[in-house]
Amino acid sequence: MRALIIDDERLARKELAKLLEEHPSIEIVGEAVNADEAYQMINDLNPDLLFLDIQMPDKTGFQLLEMLDSVPLVVFTTAYDEFALKAFEVNALDYLLKPIQAERLAETVAKLAERERARSAGTREGEKKLGLKDQVFVKDGDRCWFVSLSNVRMFESDGNYIKVYFDNNRPMIHKSLNALDEKLDERAFFRASRKHIVNLSWVEGIEPWFNGGLMVKLRGGDKVEVSRRQAAKFKDMMSL
Amino acid sequence: MVGKQRLYWALQAGGWLLYALLQVGTSLAANGTISAKRTLFLLGDALLCLCVTHAYRYVLNRRKWLYLAMPRLIPAVLASVVVMGVMLYFLRLPLSMALGFFEGSVAFDVEQILVGTAFYSLIFFLWSVFYFTYHYFERYSKSLKYEASVIEIELNNLRSQLNPHFIFNALNSIRALVDENPAKSKQAINQLSNILRKSLTSDKKGLTKFDDELKIVKDYLGLESIRFEERLKTEFHIHPDSHNFLVPPLMIQTLVENGIKHGISKLKEGGLIQLTTTVEKGCLNIRIRNSGHMVNGTRKSRNGLGIKNTVQRLRLIYGDRSSFRIANENNNFVLTEIIIPPNNAYESINH
Repeated sequence: MRALIIDDERLARKELAKLLEEHPSIEIVGEAVNADEAYQMINDLNPDLLFLDIQMPDKTGFQLLEMLDSVPLVVFTTAYDEFALKAFEVNALDYLLKPIQAERLAETVAKLAERERARSAGTREGEKKLGLKDQVFVKDGDRCWFVSLSNVRMFESDGNYIKVYFDNNRPMIHKSLNALDEKLDERAFFRASRKHIVNLSWVEGIEPWFNGGLMVKLRGGDKVEVSRRQAAKFKDMMSL
Repeated sequence: MVGKQRLYWALQAGGWLLYALLQVGTSLAANGTISAKRTLFLLGDALLCLCVTHAYRYVLNRRKWLYLAMPRLIPAVLASVVVMGVMLYFLRLPLSMALGFFEGSVAFDVEQILVGTAFYSLIFFLWSVFYFTYHYFERYSKSLKYEASVIEIELNNLRSQLNPHFIFNALNSIRALVDENPAKSKQAINQLSNILRKSLTSDKKGLTKFDDELKIVKDYLGLESIRFEERLKTEFHIHPDSHNFLVPPLMIQTLVENGIKHGISKLKEGGLIQLTTTVEKGCLNIRIRNSGHMVNGTRKSRNGLGIKNTVQRLRLIYGDRSSFRIANENNNFVLTEIIIPPNNAYESINH
């Protein structure tokens, strides 16, 4: 796995790199000293994994993640930040407390290998668009999630924000639906109307609707109207 | 409680015995001699007084007169001493009858009654004054003790606690330093252990020597320099008379740490921490200048707590003799300023 270390302290980066020497499965492709530098390096190097310090000057680790469209696997490294870590839904989180212990790091690396296997089952090579295997980072107030796009039923635009529907949550992210639409893989996500993007793998039923439109029923009970303009395209996509 | 009961009875018995002996002494001085019956009568008289005052104490405790305010207490005491005076005058009659020197014409003479009653009332009044004064002072010292313990508890709660974030980051840097620069890593371990020791023991002492605090601040900044490397610059301008002063332990360290946490560590390029002390009008002036900019209102509660604790600590230790200020000096620097009064100003509180 190709990893990027992001920490503002030289000694902290050095120590982690030294510990990672024990794990040949992890290749360090770069080190960044702040969020802006990291953002650049993520776009250039496209790493599979980030070792990310939360407290950094200017922008925090969370702010960096919010800047990213697709988020690689993330392992937080922090000295003591119970508040920040509590913000996470447990399933999505892995973190290392500094000073990092070799055994703890070994556990994390093992877990990462497993996750990576699951993720790379789908082809990601040479593909820039966001597919079902990708995950996004969502922060709403004090709560944070790493959400796999396969779990997102739909996106709904709400002013300058987008509501992300997954499980029982619908946090908001500060993005426009058009910008998001361009980044999503059109084979997995469909722009149903000005207001909605639906995940095609969640579609359960389709009914004819007024004015030549369609009403799409998603697993879980949400219903989304497909505008007339998009209905023909939608029929094309759903039929063989 | 048992000790108090014993004290009460010792004072009652001793006091009234002294009263009887004084009466005997006065008789002897006046007549040159005193009969056994007369002596017995005076002892009996004292015993009656003891019984009456004991009953009086019982009543006033039942009615919680000790907690009455003066305007209500004084009339109550005056009325009861008069009643007790009259009571004693008439209780004495059977005693004199039994001893055989009762004379009806004298005993029931109005003038005799008035003089006798007034005399006993005065005695009982003095008894009351003694009793209430004793309890007043006892309660006063108790409340002082209580207040002192409350202040101590509060100060313990407010005492500067080391930020765990700092400790673990320091340990992390030290671990990396072990390979890179073993000598420097040993020094860093010493610095960290100095700070840990200080924070573990400082709550037991109210104040610490300025020089000791300065050493801790230097150790602290030494450790942070390992972490921040070229991003942290430090400067000290210490007035030579500063070492005469005592300061609350870890207070300057906390404020310096505050400057790093909210100033330097937020800046990509880092910045400067400058500690300056001067002595003006007998007071120690401590100024901490750090790179950064304070945005009012948006600072998070954890930081606000550090400042609030410092302000409260200063107030508890020095009253209004110290002062504290934190403000943006300009766009690039935040200035924290504390004024510490001379040592004698608070010795009375701490010792």
